[in-house]
Amino acid sequence: MKILVCLKQILDPDIPPRDFAIDRDNRRAARGSANLVTNIFCENALETALQLREKAEGEITALTFGPSSAEDVLRKALALKADHACLVEDEAGEYRNSATTALVLAAAIRKLGEFDLIMVGREAGDWGAGQTGGLLAEQLGLPSVSFVDSIEATADGVTLRRQTELGWEKVEATTPLVVTITNNDENVPRIPKTRDIMMSARKPVTNWKLSDIDVTCDDITAAGTALEVVDLAIPEKTTECEFIEGDSIDEKIDAFAKRLASIVQSA
Amino acid sequence: MMLLAALNPAEATREVMWNISHSWVMYMLLVPTMIIAGRGVYRQVQKWRAGQPAARFDRPAERIKRVVKHVLLQQATLRDRFAGVYHFLLFWGMITLTIATTVVLIHHDFSIDIMRGRFYLYFQSLFVDVLGVLAMTGVAMLAVRRWIVRPKKLVYTDESTWLLVLLFAILGTGFLLEGWRIAATNDPWGNWSPAGIVISKASLAVASVETLTTLHWLVWWFHMALVFGLIAWAPYTKLLHVLTAPLNIYTANLDAGGGTLKQIDFESAQSFGINSLEQFTWKDLLDLDACTECGRCTSVCPANTVGKQLSPRDIILDLQSLLDRNDLASRNSKSDGEQPDEYKPAFPVIGQTDNLSSDALFECTTCAACVEICPVSIEQLPKIVDMRRFQVMERAEFPQQMQDAISSLEGRGHPFKGTQLSRMDWAEGMDVPTIEDVDAPEVLLWVGCGGALVDRNQRSTRALANLLKQAGVNFAILGREETCTGDPARRIGNEFLFETLATQNIETLKTHNIKSVLTSCPHCFNTFRNEYPKLGGDFEVLHHTTYLAKLIGEGRLTLDAKAAERIAFHDPCYLGRHNGITDAPRKILKQLTGSAPAEMEKHGRQSFCCGGGGGLSFVDEPPDKRVNQERARQALDTNAETLAVGCPFCTTMMEDGINAVKGDREMVVKDIAEVMWETVSRE
Ligand code: SF4
Ligand code: SF4
Repeated sequence: MKILVCLKQILDPDIPPRDFAIDRDNRRAARGSANLVTNIFCENALETALQLREKAEGEITALTFGPSSAEDVLRKALALKADHACLVEDEAGEYRNSATTALVLAAAIRKLGEFDLIMVGREAGDWGAGQTGGLLAEQLGLPSVSFVDSIEATADGVTLRRQTELGWEKVEATTPLVVTITNNDENVPRIPKTRDIMMSARKPVTNWKLSDIDVTCDDITAAGTALEVVDLAIPEKTTECEFIEGDSIDEKIDAFAKRLASIVQSA
Repeated sequence: MMLLAALNPAEATREVMWNISHSWVMYMLLVPTMIIAGRGVYRQVQKWRAGQPAARFDRPAERIKRVVKHVLLQQATLRDRFAGVYHFLLFWGMITLTIATTVVLIHHDFSIDIMRGRFYLYFQSLFVDVLGVLAMTGVAMLAVRRWIVRPKKLVYTDESTWLLVLLFAILGTGFLLEGWRIAATNDPWGNWSPAGIVISKASLAVASVETLTTLHWLVWWFHMALVFGLIAWAPYTKLLHVLTAPLNIYTANLDAGGGTLKQIDFESAQSFGINSLEQFTWKDLLDLDACTECGRCTSVCPANTVGKQLSPRDIILDLQSLLDRNDLASRNSKSDGEQPDEYKPAFPVIGQTDNLSSDALFECTTCAACVEICPVSIEQLPKIVDMRRFQVMERAEFPQQMQDAISSLEGRGHPFKGTQLSRMDWAEGMDVPTIEDVDAPEVLLWVGCGGALVDRNQRSTRALANLLKQAGVNFAILGREETCTGDPARRIGNEFLFETLATQNIETLKTHNIKSVLTSCPHCFNTFRNEYPKLGGDFEVLHHTTYLAKLIGEGRLTLDAKAAERIAFHDPCYLGRHNGITDAPRKILKQLTGSAPAEMEKHGRQSFCCGGGGGLSFVDEPPDKRVNQERARQALDTNAETLAVGCPFCTTMMEDGINAVKGDREMVVKDIAEVMWETVSRE
């Protein structure tokens, strides 16, 4: 089975809140002191792919679209024994939304060849839009299944388990197919072995510019207009403290419940 | 005339080999005995030689001193009172008896007439007899311990039972022989052998001279057979420690603390970490054969004490039996150049027994109590870390929460996944100078992740900074440039990450031209002091307890009213045991309160871990097996109101432990800097 996993490099979402800053003029997060990490759901996707490869033969290609620093997420994927890695470099480094990303990824995938499974994280820890997977399927003209947390290979395709609000759904699908991956207890990302980290530095990474995959700035701009960020701000956190009065404990509980209900209703 | 000559002490002697003919038979038997014993020793030596190199013959003067202290004077052994005493008696008793036998040999076989006169009376008769009695006392004490007291820490095998019986029989028959010879020859110097004369008199009361002579002959050959049997068998039993223990003590690790870990050459190492017997150094393998099975290491091990699987004694003994079962010398050592994708151990160790399971290895807090207590200088801890390294770097299989700490170290430079604090938060509103603001600071205050990124410890760090300001110390902090020293990575077993972090820190400190580093974290302290020099980072390193004591001594800090509370002190492992600093914190506390701090039974170099070392502070231990709660009980038993500590990890571990078990008792945990800031005169 040929698997392609899309990975996104993002600002570490685990930084302390007071270290988080935004660049309001350009309507994006400021790098500040934050590290760059692989988006967690992308890591879940890679882990799911690795497990699938352990059970069914196959090859894994890791693909990312981002600035040159995004090579780090590919090196990490290579350390985890992905077979190939490809970076499409975003020279301008502008903010890209899900639509532009899907456009670029689709172009790259077409050039990389045929894949049975294309896996993306359910959403990214920076913007949390959760759109890239669906848009990518659209671009590639493939069916897609979202919120998948486990995959099994069958004779003529795959069986997928997807999380829903009510429980799990089992889906049988034929490939090729795009799936978005969510997390569960079984796809907690593994950590690489030290020797593999050292070896990964020596493995080749395909490095493409946008021109290499025949995407022009106009294409990007056109796709980008689908969505516009109008303003960006960090919500202010305020704490209000209110004491519930009452003569007896029963009265207090009663008043407390009523107050609680009114807050819930107004919210 | 005859009588006169016999009673002249200058002529005192006895007939050697009295009653024994055909003594050549004995010499004939000695040959196979020595061959069997020699083969046993040779076999082990060959196994040790299959290990990796280790430089353990440098600094001979220091090594000889160790041997005098721990072999001849038995200092480490004597720390366990009862066992120490009987071992001392047996040790010197057996040595004396061996010397006495050698004297007989010289006298008889080389016909050098040395068994005569005062030497014969004082040494060969009286001294040897008394020492023999003491050795017998030792055997009796040993029997009482093994068969009546039966402490849990001992290993009860048939082998040890037989060895004990054998020792008893050899000493016993020796006394009988002496007594019967005195009786039968009516030895005029018999009174110089007190035990001999008693046996002589008692025997004469029940048997004739002829009977005793016959018995003497029979028992002499029996005695000889026992002795030869013991000599031949000893190298195949734990008695091998008679040879290996002194050798092991001579070749011990002379570096601080005994917790010294090996460096890895990442370019050439066959595997990162150890999972095969021959990957250990020859000294590691010698360690295995030096174990006396005394069980002290396991009895002081904090993890074992709270009921976990980890047992340093059994790690050593299980490795020893693997060494026994495998022929290391036969290993096909050729390698075909190309690194195989996965390293295949020739003589695998991890997971071979329950004691060597990965789970047990990751229970170790790296407290080094085992190394400290071992009477024969065995290094259990470095072997544990060697095997952890394999699990971490070659297999990436180790506890999830330790994995999180490692990932956080890799990505964020600190081990506290999900902390809501950043490096400088503690200093808010305090005007603490960073390295950019200060030209050539007296000391660099290395805050450490524990001091900066854990809520509770911000108080301690602020107190320390306040004290430095109060004393007018020209200091600075690195601020955002600070990252973890790499200690948790190294103890968990990720040597690669440790080296990366360490190299980076050394670089940063050199860029800022730092000469002197002050830290309140004993883990950082230990890393700077003992580990960075090996990577090219030589800085003066100070722990805040020593430094604060110095500031008081110099009058730069003066103390106001005495602290009223009763204070106990908990020695952090990486301060007391690993680095020998136990006086400075006590000196401060004495000055603060006017009296010496309350002591727990386990303190100083014998302190009991808080449970937080070795990456364990990032792990949720099972609720019924928590090291910090055990230590908390020990602390509460002092009835002190305050438990002073000198380590951010100890602070949180002890605070959690005390809160969990205190019941209606009260005890607060404070860093020494906090206690001090409360009592110091302020401007
Ligand atoms: S270092 Fe401490 S925890 Fe580890 S085995 Fe030794 S005594 Fe036990
Ligand atoms: S390793 Fe040392 S302390 Fe532990 S049982 Fe062996 S001799 Fe005793």
